[in-house]
Amino acid sequence: MTDAPQNANLVEELASIWAELLDLAPGDVPADVSFLRLGGDSVLTVRMSALVRRRLNVVLALSDVRVEITLNQLADLVGRRASGEPMARTLPLQVARRPDPHAEFPLLPLQQGYFVGQQDGWELSYDSAHYYLDYALSGVDGDEAADALSDAIERLAVHQPTLRARVTPEGRQRVLAGGAPRLKVYDLRGSTAEEAADALAEVRQEMSTRGPDPTGGPGLDVRLTLLPGGEGRLHLGFSLLTFDGWSSGVLSRDLLTYAADWNAVLPPLEVHFGDYVTALEELPKTEAWQADRDWWFSRLDDLPLPPALPLVADPKDVRPVTMGNREHRWTAERWAALRQECARREVTPSTAMLTAFAIVLARWSGHRRMLLNSLQLNRLPLHPDLHRVVGAFASTMLLPVELAPGATFAELAATAQRTSGEHAAHNLITGVEVGRELARRRGTWRPVGPVVFQSVLGVDAAMGGRPPEEAGPLGRIIASDYFHQLRTPQVALEVRCFEIGDEAVAVFSLVDELFEEAAVTAAFTEFVALVDSLADGSGWDLAPQLPHAADLPAGEGGLRLDRLPEAPSGQYSGPLADDVEQTVAEVFEELLEIPVLDRGADFFALGGDSLLAVRAVVRLAKEIGAAVPVREFLSDPTVAGVAHAVRSRTDGSR
Amino acid sequence: MIGVLGATGAVGRTAAGRLAALGAGGLRLGGRDAARAAEVAETLPAPAEVVRVDLTDPDELARFCAGCRIVVNCAGPTYRVLDTVARAAFAAGADYVDIGGELAAKDALSGGAVPRERTAVFSAGVMPGLSGLLPRLLAKGRPPRRLDVYVGGAAVFTPLSAVDALLTRGPRFGVPMAAWREGAVTPLAPLHGVRLPGFPEPVHAWPYLTTEAQTLAAECGADEVRSYNVFVSDRIPHALSAAWAAVPDVHAAPIETLRPYAAEVVRASVLDNAGFGAFYVMLFTARPHRGAPAGPTRVLLTAVDSYALSGVVMALTARTVLAGRVPPGAHLAAEVLDPDATVTALRDDPLVTQLSVD
Repeated sequence: MTDAPQNANLVEELASIWAELLDLAPGDVPADVSFLRLGGDSVLTVRMSALVRRRLNVVLALSDVRVEITLNQLADLVGRRASGEPMARTLPLQVARRPDPHAEFPLLPLQQGYFVGQQDGWELSYDSAHYYLDYALSGVDGDEAADALSDAIERLAVHQPTLRARVTPEGRQRVLAGGAPRLKVYDLRGSTAEEAADALAEVRQEMSTRGPDPTGGPGLDVRLTLLPGGEGRLHLGFSLLTFDGWSSGVLSRDLLTYAADWNAVLPPLEVHFGDYVTALEELPKTEAWQADRDWWFSRLDDLPLPPALPLVADPKDVRPVTMGNREHRWTAERWAALRQECARREVTPSTAMLTAFAIVLARWSGHRRMLLNSLQLNRLPLHPDLHRVVGAFASTMLLPVELAPGATFAELAATAQRTSGEHAAHNLITGVEVGRELARRRGTWRPVGPVVFQSVLGVDAAMGGRPPEEAGPLGRIIASDYFHQLRTPQVALEVRCFEIGDEAVAVFSLVDELFEEAAVTAAFTEFVALVDSLADGSGWDLAPQLPHAADLPAGEGGLRLDRLPEAPSGQYSGPLADDVEQTVAEVFEELLEIPVLDRGADFFALGGDSLLAVRAVVRLAKEIGAAVPVREFLSDPTVAGVAHAVRSRTDGSR
Repeated sequence: MIGVLGATGAVGRTAAGRLAALGAGGLRLGGRDAARAAEVAETLPAPAEVVRVDLTDPDELARFCAGCRIVVNCAGPTYRVLDTVARAAFAAGADYVDIGGELAAKDALSGGAVPRERTAVFSAGVMPGLSGLLPRLLAKGRPPRRLDVYVGGAAVFTPLSAVDALLTRGPRFGVPMAAWREGAVTPLAPLHGVRLPGFPEPVHAWPYLTTEAQTLAAECGADEVRSYNVFVSDRIPHALSAAWAAVPDVHAAPIETLRPYAAEVVRASVLDNAGFGAFYVMLFTARPHRGAPAGPTRVLLTAVDSYALSGVVMALTARTVLAGRVPPGAHLAAEVLDPDATVTALRDDPLVTQLSVD
């Protein structure tokens, strides 16, 4: 135990960290009010842990630092850790510069998912997983802007090497010495308004449907449109294979900072994405990771199914090109009111959104218990620079939600916050890895988490305040005049919550082809109304009308999400039947490093993952000369099934 | 008269029962505990003599063998017995079948130790024995590219079989963590938590390239042979490794030195058995060369108990010798039994739960 004066110093030190993160004066940080109440959120707790590690040389476990912690509690915790009290979840990982910055390194689990998606591996996949965004500029210096931006991109590619990253055909990644993105400029200063509008529509169409592909070029696509009257638009395409949502924010800030000033210098970064991934290679060997894995795996059999949303088409039969959007923006006053109501009730705005989303889904699907997938921008707090580094750090977390009948919204939100905190405390294993095991146990090859919740509310604060509003020759940034489009594989419906300046936005991104349009509109309207009732305070103490059934009753009619017919499997067993099956088995063996002795042996049940499946496809093409589409491989990943797919391609050509 | 040594043991009881059922002649049961041997005799369908015998006593051994047409030795530790009992049997004019012995015993009888007209068959149990015989079904007329052997399961070791397991170490028995590839012994890694056809649980498979597997590779012309001992946990391999680390030369050590380590192996097997229940699986798979003629590529045998199964194989071997279908000289069972006839006989045996050749 620490004595009083030391503790006082510690509290002071910690208060300065909080003040920095929460944008308060150090003297204004009360010792007995929760971090959450003071404006903190889970993203900031991760940064807080990183700062404590850096400045006090004390490593905190991720599960130790909840958003509800007070400064006194934190001081006590840090004191105990510093005095050597053993901790449940130390992470003995160090992120350090790799000796060879151009050496290959593996893809993280979510990157693997996107990579396989790009090979048309999944149902609901696209040629590219990417995010497109454009926003308006005014007061652009038309003669200088392009040069300033080009120069900014080049400097940024030095500062953030991931701009030069590529993904190999085998599903690994590396950073090139050159190969930075090149700016493309559309000079429409002499065009009529109509011509400009047509051209803009064309660029949007192109960039929405064709994302940058890091297997062949940089994962970032930057374009600038110069319009009459000193106006312009900045277009950004981000491959999700190289940049996560957090990174798109960081990149666009860094880019504008460089463009604003030829002499701008950003604080140097000690480590980069590749260093982080390399450090993480040791993660599965740690006790902490294994404990998290066991925690999740012991719960898998009790996890609910995703919401059984009524569908108009089987996901395996649709070939979406872009996702549809429903979008709502809350004004600065409304958003401030909502934040205040949330703080009063000690829930984060993200949790309020999540709860509202779950309620809408429950009513739409007809049951109260469901599995959601949430996108996590968690960078493990292994180095204090990581929040300024770009890369595809993101992962997912599966999140079971059970809405108790008769409970008020406030009670439901409190439960959701507890559940989500409990699950997030075990986030060393990602939802992608957990989902793989879940799919294996359920014997499904369909996505296990096709309904996604994503919130980056509060990220601006975590990145260090608002993004720049002036960018020199690029003029003034009109962030509220934007257009965006997301394509993310294996997702049927995703809600995204984010801030633009002082306003907040929620978007339903969905595969239009799957749902009845009126049902989507109704659900979105309901969601917005529910959030409105939270902002004005009226919705918290009401018990929302919920369906009676916890799970979808058996035989409930029609085509429904995740209650779809599975491809026949387990129909084969016995010794390998012929030379083709032998070859397939030997390719499996080589990749999985275990004997494959039965024609019914399933690539995934044997421990394979989707990335290895892509490698198996590449290997088979080499061995037999038959290119089996990844999707076909995944639809029946047994030896006999894959051999069948091979034969159906080689028979004709012989 | 057929003499069964070690008749009170797990293997011997079954061997005696099967031989009695054959009606191939009178039965003489030998064991260190005459009372227990008498109990076994009572369970048999035909009357049998009971003789107290200690294998280390030459006079008792000679008395036991006198008047026998064949001596069937189920006693052990087989790797200490070597050729002692075989020589006593020959002296009495009897043929001989041994559950173990392997090359060590066979070699000890080289140089004219086997009289003309006499036959000795060693390694006539499950492993070695069936493990070297059954895979030959997959190589008939078409040398495989690769042959895999997976044998094991969950069974409670007897103290004696645990000592035998401890003694299966050294170049005359096999090479751990190795496979046979293109005529050379090459490293092979153990498998952890793998699912294998016929095994009810994910298992741990430890490569052990037995001399039997090496002979098999040479005789059937396989480019590659992988042979594994299969366990339901790592307890038994760890107990064995611990013993071998503590007693580097197990063959020079007195049995008394090995007993505490054997007890650890038994304990490990009891825990395995408690967790998984008893089962025993022998899986053999072959990968033929591309374009080879069609034929079976998998033999799968499952049984509840490997000891009883060894008894069945011992009885089958004795029957074959008695029928004059094994030439004079010293042999290993895998090399002289007929694989097809053995499969036919085993399929009819109630102790074999499954035997398929696909």
